[in-house]
Amino acid sequence: MPLVGSDFGKQQLWNRYRRQKGLGVLNPVQQDALSQALDGLWAKFLPLIEERVALLGSAAAAFAAGRLPAEEVQAAGAAAHKLAGVLGSFGLARGTALARELETLYLSPSGPEPASGASLISMAAELRAIVQNRR
Amino acid sequence: MSHRILIIDDEEDIREVAGLSLETVAGWEVFLANSGPQGIARAIEHQPDAILLDVMMPGMDGPATFRELRGNPATAHIPVMLLTAKVQATDQRRFADLGVEAVLFKPFDPLTLSDQISGVLGWS
Repeated sequence: MPLVGSDFGKQQLWNRYRRQKGLGVLNPVQQDALSQALDGLWAKFLPLIEERVALLGSAAAAFAAGRLPAEEVQAAGAAAHKLAGVLGSFGLARGTALARELETLYLSPSGPEPASGASLISMAAELRAIVQNRR
Repeated sequence: MSHRILIIDDEEDIREVAGLSLETVAGWEVFLANSGPQGIARAIEHQPDAILLDVMMPGMDGPATFRELRGNPATAHIPVMLLTAKVQATDQRRFADLGVEAVLFKPFDPLTLSDQISGVLGWS
């Protein structure tokens, strides 16, 4: 089973790097154990991650409709921040990038630009798909 | 050589992924704390070799926790690395000015987090 977010080539490069540095390398059994353990943590935290993704979807729709209060703008920014900090650790680099962009938009001093509703909706939808499709 | 690391982060997913990474990849002993006050108590109790400290935490945030750790004779000697998802240059400068050993960024790669820490602290 490949490591989360990795492929066989990356594993080999990483092991070679570690050997060159005199560091221990994970054997295939250990790699598999790490991968499975990470998958287990993903399953454990998926409801929370999905909750934050859903919040971003709702916030984007509300903003596009001109109905997002200031405190909910902050909440959306906070949710995006938390997602940005964790998705990449589960191999979802694009998820982190999207979440980071959403965080920047929501937490800018004057909030998202009024015309950015469609972008917010699109990014939230892509984020939801990324989370749903993680294997 | 096995090391002992205390991870202080209010987010359970971060604590568990980081803990899993350091235990599985590096074989280190890991202690977890979910807040600044709990982290300080665990640092005093367990005397870890290093502390990984989240920046944004409710109540006592990372910088405030760090100042408490530095001000306590029982923990002042323990190297601290901040862990943050904030990547803006202004934030990075503010964190570096605190006097921590390093600032590590989220998301981290579970495969290489221990290497990053070892590199910062000069561990083999």
